[in-house]
Amino acid sequence: MTNRGNNPASTAFRVGTALAAVGLSVWLLWSLRSLILPVAVGSLLAYVCLPLVAALERLHLARSLAVALLVALMVLIGLLLLGRVRAALPAEVGGLEMRVRGFHNLNERYRVLMGLDGSLKGGNRLYRFAGQDLDPLIDQVDRSIALTPEERARLLTSRPESSDAAANRLIVYDLDNQRTLEARGLTVQKPPPIPGDGGGTRRAKGPLARLGAAFSRWIVAPVVFFFFLRDVSGIKRGLLRAVPNRLFEPTLAVFADLDRALGGYVRAMFLESCFLGVFVGVLLRVFGAPVAWAILVGLIAAAANPVPYIGSAVALIGGLSFVIVADEIHPLLPAIRPENAVIWLVAGVALIEVLKNSVFEPFVVGESVDVHPVVIFIVVLAGGLLFGAVGLLLALPTITILKTLVASASHQLKAYRLI
Amino acid sequence: MRRFSIQGLREVLLPRPQGPAAPDRTSAAARAAFGPLPLMTSGGKQRDLAAFLGEVTLFADFSRWELGRLARNAHERTYRDGEYIYQEGNPGAALFLVQTGIVEITRRDPKGESVRILALERPASFSEQAAIGIDVVRWTSAVARGPVSLVALGKSDLDELGRRFPLLANKVLSRLAQILVLRLEMLIDMQLQPGEAQNSNDEPGK
Repeated sequence: MTNRGNNPASTAFRVGTALAAVGLSVWLLWSLRSLILPVAVGSLLAYVCLPLVAALERLHLARSLAVALLVALMVLIGLLLLGRVRAALPAEVGGLEMRVRGFHNLNERYRVLMGLDGSLKGGNRLYRFAGQDLDPLIDQVDRSIALTPEERARLLTSRPESSDAAANRLIVYDLDNQRTLEARGLTVQKPPPIPGDGGGTRRAKGPLARLGAAFSRWIVAPVVFFFFLRDVSGIKRGLLRAVPNRLFEPTLAVFADLDRALGGYVRAMFLESCFLGVFVGVLLRVFGAPVAWAILVGLIAAAANPVPYIGSAVALIGGLSFVIVADEIHPLLPAIRPENAVIWLVAGVALIEVLKNSVFEPFVVGESVDVHPVVIFIVVLAGGLLFGAVGLLLALPTITILKTLVASASHQLKAYRLI
Repeated sequence: MRRFSIQGLREVLLPRPQGPAAPDRTSAAARAAFGPLPLMTSGGKQRDLAAFLGEVTLFADFSRWELGRLARNAHERTYRDGEYIYQEGNPGAALFLVQTGIVEITRRDPKGESVRILALERPASFSEQAAIGIDVVRWTSAVARGPVSLVALGKSDLDELGRRFPLLANKVLSRLAQILVLRLEMLIDMQLQPGEAQNSNDEPGK
């Protein structure tokens, strides 16, 4: 037998080729980073759906048919949800009304909580303690949700003279809001156009263009989802085919470890998301939110949970938008009153986050990821800095996979006496 | 197709050497441990992996759907002459089925020299215990003699099969257990044969 492996030129060529391949992979990864998220989401969703396809296959359905059925079902559910969400979203005038109501209720509740008089002077002990810090925050929120003169005109013209109590109340709110803006010394104007922009080009790259760009990128996700589901064994076999014979069995074991780790992560994340969703839903019900709103916010918080801290942020925003915008709230606990509901809500969401981080993550997620929390924190930060939202979302699964890959590969290579 | 029967299989697998024509103890034991299992199907030209799996005794009487599922989890490997399929002392993670070519099973003697135990050809299966998944350290080596093509089924593939298709995985595992029990019975039988026992008794006097 020839001893090809010991030739220095051959070794140099192999090392050079490997380095070039690694360099090319890194360059490709960086260049195509905008596709990472859709591909990762499509693959992870497919991974989660594998047991469903297997369940359909156990009914002796062909795999392609099982996958097609599942995709059709998901598209149907997606369309139904989209229809519900679109129906729930306020139209333009409805949005203006919500802003008027939100502005009024926020300032009214802040005034009562801080013990301010009609001219926003005076204030109780709490105001003297935290007013200097909170006032700028309230000013900022006020500026962002107050109507511009053009928007006010549009709102008023869209509401003809009416004896409807709700419409009249809205007009009262609007007048109150103008007085509040005056008392706070705030002016609301249309944001000035960016010099040299002309407004036109910016509008041309507006929501529709951005939606188009996102769609062209996200079209990858369902394609990856479909083909991954349909041929996951083929992909695995194809990868293993490229492996030299002496590495075949170690690679099988490494793949099994990766599968176990990824499965553990997905299961843990699913459980944690369910935990967050249920607790957020219950919390909002305690504040008197309608069942549909509590379920919707709970579901969105659960879906956003894989991105660290975003699930709780969604819960906070969803809860605040209810507590601030709703004219009347009927909490289940007597201690919660409209003027202090915001504080209770922040405390409630913080408690859920603490429970999640201190009880749930160490016992469920920690066991599957098995990485020190400090390392997780640094990796999540680094992922966010390097890849933005993609990095935040994929930091945990990436570190899980990399850690398992390194540990398992080194263990197997030692066991097979290859290193 | 003949029905898979453990009794029938036992009769075929258990050689009962008699008289001077009896094979020597080592080769009989080697045949028991690694020898090809009898062809249970009616044969015919296999066109794909599933058809080939249907030829192997291990998967005799499996339905077409089951063979198709198994084929999706199996890996086809090719080896050149002299290449190791696995080596003695290494962990085992897969069972192998000979598709084409000849595989030689060898073992190192106390002096460290490689001793040929047996040659296997289509449709033999070997290294079944590795697929069952006990921490197996291989006590023999398998080497390709000439170009060889094998089908491998890993322990991890069976684990995955168990999660998605538990009934099928259970069927494969119980068949593997049957085969291993048979091989063990054959080895024990070798020990208890009168001729062999006589030989064993004679040995100290030599």
